[in-house]
Amino acid sequence: MLLVAVATLSSCEKVSPIGVLIAGTGVEDRVKMSNLYYQKHQLDYKDQWIDSVDYTFLVGADSHITNDTCRMAEMLQIGLDNNDLFYAHLGDIADTKAEYYINLDNTLQQFKRKYANKYFHEIPEDELSTRDREGLYCTKSGDTLRYEDIDYPFYPVVGNHDLTHNGWPLWCNIFHSSFYEFNIILGNTQQYDHFIFLDTASGTLGEEQVRLIEEGILDAKDIGSYMGFKCRYTFVFSHTNIFRPSSLQFSSTFAREETFYLLSQFEEWNVTAVFCGHVHAWDERDFAGVHYVTLDSMSERNSPNPGKYLLRVHLKKNGEIEYERVQMNYVKK
Amino acid sequence: MTKMKMIALSLLLMLPLLVSAQSYCGEHKFDGVHKNEVTGYLVGGKNVVTGWFLGPTVSYKRHLTDRWSVEGNMQAQFGKQLYGIYAQGSYRLPVSYFNFYFNGKVMYNRYNLTRTNEYVMNLSVLMETPYFELQVGESGIRYHMLHSSYNEPMTFTFGTGVNIRPRWNSWNIGLYFRNFDEFYYENWNINWGVRFNAKLTQQLNLFGEFKVRPAGSLSQLASKYETSEKIGVKYVW
Repeated sequence: MLLVAVATLSSCEKVSPIGVLIAGTGVEDRVKMSNLYYQKHQLDYKDQWIDSVDYTFLVGADSHITNDTCRMAEMLQIGLDNNDLFYAHLGDIADTKAEYYINLDNTLQQFKRKYANKYFHEIPEDELSTRDREGLYCTKSGDTLRYEDIDYPFYPVVGNHDLTHNGWPLWCNIFHSSFYEFNIILGNTQQYDHFIFLDTASGTLGEEQVRLIEEGILDAKDIGSYMGFKCRYTFVFSHTNIFRPSSLQFSSTFAREETFYLLSQFEEWNVTAVFCGHVHAWDERDFAGVHYVTLDSMSERNSPNPGKYLLRVHLKKNGEIEYERVQMNYVKK
Repeated sequence: MTKMKMIALSLLLMLPLLVSAQSYCGEHKFDGVHKNEVTGYLVGGKNVVTGWFLGPTVSYKRHLTDRWSVEGNMQAQFGKQLYGIYAQGSYRLPVSYFNFYFNGKVMYNRYNLTRTNEYVMNLSVLMETPYFELQVGESGIRYHMLHSSYNEPMTFTFGTGVNIRPRWNSWNIGLYFRNFDEFYYENWNINWGVRFNAKLTQQLNLFGEFKVRPAGSLSQLASKYETSEKIGVKYVW
């Protein structure tokens, strides 16, 4: 009986007894790898200068991509149509199977091409020198850059379902780092908005991440203390949620000490809002001056009906912040 | 070096467990004779956020009748800077070999590192059989910090344990699995481990627990959050 059960479970790729229970790469190793990558490739997370103090960004959560990538494509299309400055994803982006990550990567590449075509001007082949064989784009200011150097503004955090079946290698092969930050610098105002992405997929920051946070690695010291710019807003992105939407939400949150540590840390960072996923249920509340939003799952399997699964955050010129729930209409046929 | 220290400390803390495992067990269950219980134990371990911690817990329990009991507990965990106190009342309903304990508990915790005050009320039923126990209940949790307060949604309490000897045996070793401990109640964050108890004399019990408290839910059992050891004695008269 046991052998039959094990064989049955093992043959079903989504309920492998080991994969369900154990994340292959622990949070300590993930954060060490991520931080190493982040330190070596900080230019990839370079601060972005924009002309306006008024812009939007789009947030989605728990897409659990398998073979159907339409909800992800819908999110990226909505972002592109609305000129959102960037798109953030709160983890559990794909179920862990190589084909699903290939599907995801194909979708991201497809939308990077659309993004490049919308915001950059491709230089025709006959205008290219023989040295520049392909893929040169022109910015509005006239600078040229290769297609590979165009940063597609998609910023994910890692989720617990991204890690089962030893999924970390798949995830980090595309996204590289699960622990990083960047800034949006607001024209000539000497102000910036700060965006922090935490690795909370294991339900804990782990010792290394706590140590790095205590060291101030996410404090935007370069731009803040050294350049003297003033932080306007700080936003944090986390897979695991802080607050439970209801008593029937049995999905785990952080343990007691860590919940209180994070709430304190957010206050210390003077965070404006924290965005979380994980529980597949909407929740919105304020605590100690911080706005906490937990998003519903945007997956067509978890949320098969059309609904407002995305969140658009509008940072306005007058200092107001608007949180708008955005409709998704794709239904699996 | 740190790893060596951890191993040495773990072995040191495991020693009483191993010794007692060779000699005996029996835990907190009422024997129908004594009226008073005083318990003291040390708990120590490491938490990924707060680091190493160690501290004492003391409690007094009074059996008002063979059915009704009240108790008070207090705890300090230095390093973690966690200080707690609780009072509990219980009614025991014996049914054949079983006991059903209906428990009501109020608790206050001070998480001093984050200047957090936590208030908990818990109602639970513990079913105790000769080898197995099951506890279910609900907790109301409220905490205050940073000049704000929050009422958590009602939190389901569950816990189970199994022993290798019947509960009246003079020694016992068992396994447990639950989402709470004496001084905290969690949502879906479980803890599990090995426990033992042993009657040193008619009035003195030795007991202990080795506990793993992983982060996250059942899908993340491998994530280390806290590991601790508890060792203490209970004196009854």
